[in-house]
Amino acid sequence: MMEILIALTISLLFAIGVFQLLRRNLIRSAMGLAIITNAVNLFLLAAGAYRGEAPAYVNAAGQRSDALPQALILTAIVIGMGAFAVVLAMVYVLSLRYKTSDSDDVKGLKH
Amino acid sequence: MNEVLALLPVMVPLTAAVVAVALRRRHRVQSAWSFGAMLTSLVFAALLLADVWGEGRPLVFQLGGWPAPFGISLVGDLLSALMVVMCQLVLAGGFLYALGCRDQCAQYPMFYPLFLLLATGLTGAMLTGDLFNLFVFAELLVFSGAALTAMSDDRFGAEAAYKYFYISLVASVALLLACGSLYVSYGTLNIADLARRIAADPSPPLVLPAMAFLMAFFMVKGAVMPFHFWQPDFHTAAPTPVHAVLSSVVVKLGIYGFLRMTTLLFPAQADVIRTVLVIAGAVGVWFGGLGAVGTYDAKRMLAYSTLGQLGFILVGIGWGTPLALAAAIVYAFNHSLLKAAMLMLAGSVASRAPVKTAAFDLITGVGKKMPLAGALFLLGGMGLAGIPPLNGFIGKLMLFQRGVDAQAWLPLAAIGLAGIITLVYVARAFQRIWWAPMPEGAKTKPYGDRLVAPTILIGLSLALGLWAEPLLQLAYATVAWLGAPDQYVRAVLGG
Repeated sequence: MMEILIALTISLLFAIGVFQLLRRNLIRSAMGLAIITNAVNLFLLAAGAYRGEAPAYVNAAGQRSDALPQALILTAIVIGMGAFAVVLAMVYVLSLRYKTSDSDDVKGLKH
Repeated sequence: MNEVLALLPVMVPLTAAVVAVALRRRHRVQSAWSFGAMLTSLVFAALLLADVWGEGRPLVFQLGGWPAPFGISLVGDLLSALMVVMCQLVLAGGFLYALGCRDQCAQYPMFYPLFLLLATGLTGAMLTGDLFNLFVFAELLVFSGAALTAMSDDRFGAEAAYKYFYISLVASVALLLACGSLYVSYGTLNIADLARRIAADPSPPLVLPAMAFLMAFFMVKGAVMPFHFWQPDFHTAAPTPVHAVLSSVVVKLGIYGFLRMTTLLFPAQADVIRTVLVIAGAVGVWFGGLGAVGTYDAKRMLAYSTLGQLGFILVGIGWGTPLALAAAIVYAFNHSLLKAAMLMLAGSVASRAPVKTAAFDLITGVGKKMPLAGALFLLGGMGLAGIPPLNGFIGKLMLFQRGVDAQAWLPLAAIGLAGIITLVYVARAFQRIWWAPMPEGAKTKPYGDRLVAPTILIGLSLALGLWAEPLLQLAYATVAWLGAPDQYVRAVLGG
């Protein structure tokens, strides 16, 4: 049951993320990027056979998750946060310079 | 003790970047320190290549002393050592250009540290033996590359950086998905361990998606035809020393990835990858060539030209025979040197133009005052087009030879005809910049960027064209290694 729930959550997040990523609004598409990054993190968590029945670090008998993907996720979260901050900073600069948040109007390099 | 040579080309620029940040208030000291670090790192890369080639075995450094597959290994085999030497060579050239360039951005206190981080990311991505570590280094590369672009003098720098950063982040998501898929299937992310396990059991359902995600990642990195759209915009606005490096060696990360994928990770499924690469390459050759002919800006022209030239390399990898692979490696090496030099020349012409830009309208006739740059540009253009005295000829000859041998007439005709387009756009640029008279009333600036770096790079390419034997032998030896992935696997995992 838990697997199906997690799979559905990940796929839903991916769908929302891709949809937002492809929007014309720069801020929405930055949000889409953040959502996709988190969907991937959940996917990595699921890759460690995460069933949500026991915490990862308890060394007791029974179902345990693989710890390595969780280490990967920690790294990916940090990098993703940095990337999101940089993207937001760039969107800010772009909106100041082009006076718009519509990506179609950011076309100084297209002739 | 030699193992540490696999670590030093990554470690030296990383440490030097940290120190360079501390030196940020003293610009001259900082630039001298950073350039020294870059040269040191180049020396270590050359030592690594010499050692690996001389001893005939890969060097593996296990980080933190953890044995593979539990720790992260840095693997210097012949392919990665060759690629690292190539990258460090061009990076050092870019550094030399930055030292003598009049861009405002090269004076910023964070320029050199970021450049060193770019070097770290690129070198690390090519030396690492771990997929997740590849992700980390690729992110380092993207962050520093985007920051360097955003600080450009060009007012569109932020737009270019945004496009580059955004598409690269999506590519990184693809790489993470590939990591997850492979981890689920095989429980390891060590490339050597993965290679062994995939060869033993290719049945898990997530192997093909992982392959597709990895391909998407490397295609974005290499600006391969359907994923190329960030690249021309990016090169129009980035500072000259940065895009000279990014257009020549950073795209080679994609080439490196495809070589690894077809020979080490997925040799059994390589036919699918190869077919895609031949098609993408042949289309890219045409697309890049025609795009370069039709564009309005010298730097943009060279960016499109990169698409076309990468097409030749991809066709070489796609054909996949020893001769074609050797041709791809020689071609990649040559393209790195030449394209970096050509972009630097375009940048130095732009620095002499009345308004700092490489748009053809504004640099018409600017070259009248720079005969040396004209001669170098013509030499470089001949190299790109594959005319004999330069090294470009050899790679192309080997590639066409393979096409004739295998009677692959259709792709051969496609890339052969498209090769002629190279001559068209190079001649057009040369004519606009060096032959056409200046418009009335326009004045060039008396000083521009120094030409030391492009002279060295073109000279190197000329030398490798006249005395090609060492590079050819190296390429053939590399291909022989690629044909025996067991050696790589055993070197990393032991036993």
